[in-house]
Amino acid sequence: MKIHLYQVIVVAISSVMLYLGIKEFVNRETGQTLLKLFVRLAVWGGMALIAIYPDFTLVIARIMGVVDNFNAVVLMGFLMVFLMLFKLLSAIEKIEQNVSEITRKEALHTAHERIEEMRKEIKAQQGRNALCTSQQQNISPRKQDD
Amino acid sequence: MTTVIVIPVYNEAKVIGQVIEDVKDHGFPHIIVVDDGSADESWCVASAHDVLALRLKVNRGKGAAVKTGIMAANLLGADVVVTMDGDGQHNPADIKPLITPILEGKSDVVLGSRLLHREEMPWVKMIANSIGNLFTWLFYGLLVSDSQSGFRAYSRYAALIIDTKADKYEYDSKVIREIKNNRLRFTEVSVHTRYTDYSKGKKNKQGFLNGLVTLYRMLWKMIA
Repeated sequence: MKIHLYQVIVVAISSVMLYLGIKEFVNRETGQTLLKLFVRLAVWGGMALIAIYPDFTLVIARIMGVVDNFNAVVLMGFLMVFLMLFKLLSAIEKIEQNVSEITRKEALHTAHERIEEMRKEIKAQQGRNALCTSQQQNISPRKQDD
Repeated sequence: MTTVIVIPVYNEAKVIGQVIEDVKDHGFPHIIVVDDGSADESWCVASAHDVLALRLKVNRGKGAAVKTGIMAANLLGADVVVTMDGDGQHNPADIKPLITPILEGKSDVVLGSRLLHREEMPWVKMIANSIGNLFTWLFYGLLVSDSQSGFRAYSRYAALIIDTKADKYEYDSKVIREIKNNRLRFTEVSVHTRYTDYSKGKKNKQGFLNGLVTLYRMLWKMIA
């Protein structure tokens, strides 16, 4: 069986994406769900499957009515554009998350003194509440005795 | 038990002062206002009301603001964290029923549901919410009556454990996913919504188009 360059590239990319998806799911990283893993397996696994067994597309093509070579080229073009979009949007999302994190840290850092002041206030109140609760518990049995 | 109220705001200078006073009048003095990069005086107005006013210098979305507020509440050592909108739609009188299941140790998260009082909600919003509930159930496997409500209460444990990277309106749905993934005990409590001319006329509310964007973001995060 003759192996084409595009098959190696698609299988390599799909393998990396599948590896990352499975690793993130196994490590229980934020946002990783079983459904997301299945979708990833279907999308990237499907691309790898088609790259390894190109004839599989003929079966799909017959079912869908896409039969000539030109359509196959257009389809490949779509796949490439999809891949690029996928990576681009993933990168943008990662950057957006980083911006949010930096903005959040900056906001909390700026208000550090006020947070500390309020924390002490709340701690004092929690102490007073605990004291009141324990005093009430001490008083209640005496009332029952009376 | 100390309850801290988190109020995310974006261009709410006209009403945020009144919202803060209403909350205080109902016996909740510990308030965190998170200004999500407003172009108006929201942060200045909030700062003048003896609250913890945080300012995100860049507009990052409702989810990012709420998450910042919850992180600040955790730093303060809050026992219960309540999140509510800054446009005055949520009635502070509902805070007590909302936190009761947590105070009684029966729940980790309490979701305020507007759909348990359907007669108060405009029908367009009701349909949009039902669609949101359906997709939240499909994506995250938990069926709730109001997946898009921002009026919620969290125990200290829930506030510490819930972690999502969602910055925009999909944050509310992602919290539902976190409830399921972390097997948190949750309950729904009916809350009243005050649909004022101000809140109806807001440009930055979760409308139909924003709903579609939220849906797209939820779908995208499934494969990315």
